[in-house]
Amino acid sequence: MTDSPSTWSAFLAGWELFREPTLAATLAGGLLGLLGVYVVLRRMVFLAAALSQSAGLGVAAAWFAQVQWGVAATWASPTVGATLASLAAAGAMMAGRTTLATRRDGVLGWVYLVGAAGTLALGTRIVQEVQDIETILFGSAVAVLPEDLARIAEVALGLGLLHLWLHRGFIQVAIDADGARVRGLPARLLEALLILSLALAVSVCTRILGALPVFAFTVLPAMAALAVAPNVAWALVLAAVLGSASGFAGYVLAFAWQLPVGASQTLVAALAVALVFAGRWSWRRLLPGRAHAHSHGPGCGHLAVVHGDHVDYLHAGHRHHQHPDHVTDHGPPPKT
Amino acid sequence: MTVLLATRQLEVGHGRAALLPPFDFAVEARTCWAVVGPNGSGKSTLLRTLLGLQATVGGSIVHRPQTIGYVPQRSELDPSVPARVLDLVRAGAERGWRFADPFWQRRMQGQVERAMRDTEIAGLAREPFQNLSEGQKQRVLMAQALAGDPQLLVLDEPTSAMDLHAERGIFRLLDTLRERRSLGILVVSHHLTLLGRHASHALFVDKDQFAVLTGPVAAVARAPAFVERYGLAMQVLPAPVAADGHGATYDR
Repeated sequence: MTDSPSTWSAFLAGWELFREPTLAATLAGGLLGLLGVYVVLRRMVFLAAALSQSAGLGVAAAWFAQVQWGVAATWASPTVGATLASLAAAGAMMAGRTTLATRRDGVLGWVYLVGAAGTLALGTRIVQEVQDIETILFGSAVAVLPEDLARIAEVALGLGLLHLWLHRGFIQVAIDADGARVRGLPARLLEALLILSLALAVSVCTRILGALPVFAFTVLPAMAALAVAPNVAWALVLAAVLGSASGFAGYVLAFAWQLPVGASQTLVAALAVALVFAGRWSWRRLLPGRAHAHSHGPGCGHLAVVHGDHVDYLHAGHRHHQHPDHVTDHGPPPKT
Repeated sequence: MTVLLATRQLEVGHGRAALLPPFDFAVEARTCWAVVGPNGSGKSTLLRTLLGLQATVGGSIVHRPQTIGYVPQRSELDPSVPARVLDLVRAGAERGWRFADPFWQRRMQGQVERAMRDTEIAGLAREPFQNLSEGQKQRVLMAQALAGDPQLLVLDEPTSAMDLHAERGIFRLLDTLRERRSLGILVVSHHLTLLGRHASHALFVDKDQFAVLTGPVAAVARAPAFVERYGLAMQVLPAPVAADGHGATYDR
């Protein structure tokens, strides 16, 4: 895990200090990894970025209200600001799909840019909190309080149970919304629940961990999980495990190598994606017969093509040659 | 005969603009309706309206069955979504809020297995969907639609991107299912030759001619608006229905 046993020992020795941020990152990685599967499946990766930027703006706005307008911290707390801003962004995105007739990615871009520019603009008005703004954007090493951990745990437990209960509905709406509606599933309600779940998870986690790792946890573990899982249900489990592992390992590596925590967690998750895709590529390239469950032959439904002295079958753009017990990949046909 | 789907002066389109003139038609059990028309003629809009995915411009759908099995075009499915055959077929058994019942899929297991047997994919349950041939994929989607035990099966271009062998297999399967399950079938396809042999009725739509023709397939195939568009391409021959699922053989 770390570069030397002494580093790991030092980390364990300081566990009292690191416990809250490590566990918070582990829980956040698991929750966001799970929710991220729907984000990646529905090609709404920018949604996570837009929501986390909005949450950052909400935190900055809360401090601005405290510093400039003297609003009490109870009313203008960073958590309240992040939650309200994320929910407002989620509402704008849902409206963008149904009433404004604007393309969803355009609305997402608008929300993202307002979040990013607004955070920077407000940062110039709350000079003494600029360091905190950077913490929001890039993550913090030790600034996780026991109450922050408790809040993440509550959100993770609540949303985790909700998504465990309704996961079949969420999956169907994510992969075949029209089919789900024909079968009478409450597709619009499930979609609204999903976006609100994301808004809540992203706002709480951004406030505590920072926008960068939150975006990373929402996208990268899901990418890796969907590449190797046999179905979406298993991808949810795998993405949650990968997200948790990235949160934990990223924190330990940040401690060992004196890296910014958010960057470290993001790089660990990105490395996991790279390893998974490299492994999948190797599996398909080196063992095509094992990775290939379909048997080719006359009437199999794939186009038969002559290749030298034998017949191959065109499958996913490659010529597959059927042997008695396996299939070999003879590559793509020559372009004519 | 049992009426499964019926319209009265139905107008389909977008917003308040009707693409086609008002029309009536009724799909009965054990009938197969071919929905034909050129590309961009309003077939998809019509289908989405009949499925309840799009609002009507005018008129009404006076009868719609409780359960409709919908088979979308295979190209609408994202090939990067991981799914095994069994996962997809099970999804077809979900209705309304049943996804919130943790034991629902177990109770539906018999129905799911029957759908897989009827479509001859029982041996593929654990296979990844993306590894299957086009013909097998189509059978999986049909099994998914059948898993909900529908009265009406709606298929959108089920034989696109298939070779002739697989196309014939799908239409023979539809004949068998129609008889075995007393289904009404509504199928969109461009394969007029096969439709002429397997469909009992036709619904021709043409946005450019602002025309809708409905009725027995032989009558529609001889109508001037249809002949103007297709000539005599839809030959009407006795449908090769066979209880054993293999059907008759014929030349194209």
